[in-house]
Amino acid sequence: MRFLSLASQYRVVIILGLTLIISALVVPGYFSASTLGLGLDRAATIGLIAIGLTVLLIAGQIDLSGGAVFAVAGIVSVMLQREIGILPAAIVGVLVGTVAGAINGALVVGLKVNSLVLTLATMLIFRSLAHWITNSQPVTGTDIMLSLALAKIYLEIFTIRSALFIVFIVLLHFWLTRTIPGRNVFAVGSNPAAAKESGIASDRIVFLGFVFAGTLAGLAGVLQSLVTNTGSPVFGSELTVAVIAAVVVGGTRLEGGRGSALGTLGGVLTIGSLTIAMEFQSVPAYVQQVVSGLILILLVVLDRAVTTKGRAPGTRPALISDNPVTQGEST
Amino acid sequence: MSDAAMEISGVKRNDRFTRGSRLVDALSKAGLAFAILAVALYGSVVSPAFFTSGNLLNVLTSMSIVGIVVVGMTFVLVVGGLADLSVPATIACGAILSLGLQPMIGPLPAFVLAVGLAGLIGLLNGVLVGYVGINPIIATLGIGTIGLGIVQAAVGGVIVYGSNPASAEFAKGRLFGIPVVVLIFLVIALIGHFVLSRSFWGRWTLATGGNYSAAEASAVPVQAVKAGAFVITALTAGISGGLLGLTLQSARPLIGAGYEFSAITAVVVGGVSIIGGFGSVPRAIAGLIFVQLLTNVMVLDGVRTPIQGFVLGILIVGAVGMDAALRKRGVA
Repeated sequence: MRFLSLASQYRVVIILGLTLIISALVVPGYFSASTLGLGLDRAATIGLIAIGLTVLLIAGQIDLSGGAVFAVAGIVSVMLQREIGILPAAIVGVLVGTVAGAINGALVVGLKVNSLVLTLATMLIFRSLAHWITNSQPVTGTDIMLSLALAKIYLEIFTIRSALFIVFIVLLHFWLTRTIPGRNVFAVGSNPAAAKESGIASDRIVFLGFVFAGTLAGLAGVLQSLVTNTGSPVFGSELTVAVIAAVVVGGTRLEGGRGSALGTLGGVLTIGSLTIAMEFQSVPAYVQQVVSGLILILLVVLDRAVTTKGRAPGTRPALISDNPVTQGEST
Repeated sequence: MSDAAMEISGVKRNDRFTRGSRLVDALSKAGLAFAILAVALYGSVVSPAFFTSGNLLNVLTSMSIVGIVVVGMTFVLVVGGLADLSVPATIACGAILSLGLQPMIGPLPAFVLAVGLAGLIGLLNGVLVGYVGINPIIATLGIGTIGLGIVQAAVGGVIVYGSNPASAEFAKGRLFGIPVVVLIFLVIALIGHFVLSRSFWGRWTLATGGNYSAAEASAVPVQAVKAGAFVITALTAGISGGLLGLTLQSARPLIGAGYEFSAITAVVVGGVSIIGGFGSVPRAIAGLIFVQLLTNVMVLDGVRTPIQGFVLGILIVGAVGMDAALRKRGVA
């Protein structure tokens, strides 16, 4: 069991390393800057949604509607381009994500319903909304050149998208580990009742967590639509499993109270490089789905095995060593 | 039908709660009957096509396909398993295999094998949820993705067509003037109702959903009961998928998409608690009738499909919210 918990602790590094080695073996020229840049750009979409989901999972909640919000936000940002211009339309698109997150948050906090069930329902609602406003047809934007500009590669490796993702993940890391609100998120996730007794506004944190997750899903959707110059009601439907898998690979627990931004970075890079490797080998999309599903299930099972048997009953889970927040929280 | 459920809740819960629960029970049941009447009334006023035997028969047939899944899904919700999201995969498994295997082993063995393999997917779900203790939604989402991927890979991502006209005739045919699919649904619903309300397994299911620790302490095999609910759902979804494939005579991998939501909506609208420990098959079917009539009226009214999904989503939120609110009042 000691081996298992060690493996679980450093699993991001192990899994990412293995993925990179295997990818390099099957794909010639995998470590060239252009391939890595492409992988990073691909990973950024999953990554932006995963950032929001990391915060929510740490707070003990989940959002399954991210993929649908992704689609709606992208569609809105493309459809409004003719009326109000590209930049305002993009901002409105991101705000649509914020509103969707606020709806999720208000319903979860207000109705006191399990967020899994509730966001399942809102996922259906947002997805239907996407089909509704587009008549189930993809919509196209006004400026093709813009998508070329956005897809441009800086410093040999970064696109605007992937740079944004990296900046956000670093900010999230410092926010979670160095600030009081970040610490409170862990407190709410590990023991909501105790957090409330200690004067933490649990409801407000959960609500804001949903708003944050919605906004980032919206941002990811808007960027995707700008890069492809298209908004489509079916965008993002295969993202849900991939995003949850990425976050779980990064060591964030579905039970709440544990997780880290850097872990999520590792998880997102793993899923990203896997996707790229499989695309280079022209593996069909449904096989890729099987792989991300398998990764998700295997890791969740591993998590269970370590939490239920690796510690004495009634104690808190073994703490992640690089995370001062969870260590200080037991007082 | 609700006598048994009341009796069980009377044994399990204290007097104060039972009083509250009886009020809630009457309210929610009368409310649903009223809602069904209102929709039927509205439908017959708005559309002359609503109260024709052809239309009602259509509603009944499409309701039966979903209804078979609803019977299984009721077990999942009652046992406290939240929801089974692998239904699209198990339906696809049932439909694709029962058509695809026909040339090799004949229609009936193909159907049985398809349902059996769907049950295997359910067994995986059940082991992960019941024994390993993984969140049901995550487990069924993952297993569903894997299962659907494997089924797609098995047929190369293409559409499978039927090759046995006799089996199609049977599935589309009628017995005593009632479509065979409807009869199969009724039989499954009756069995499901009997098992949930009259058998030891149903008692265990209700007990596990109501209070897991208490049920465990009372020597109920809670892990097996929880796992069993997912196996039951997968089997019913497999049967439903097989029938769907036989009626359509073609099956594409995404044939079952959306059925999980239709089934979940029907069950929660019927007043089965999402927290578990409360509910019955007739309630879920009442919810199903309401949702199906509403959808039918919307179709006749010319409401487009996306808006129907929108309404379904809002129905789930409303039903789940109401359940939470009523339950709080009943306990406090």
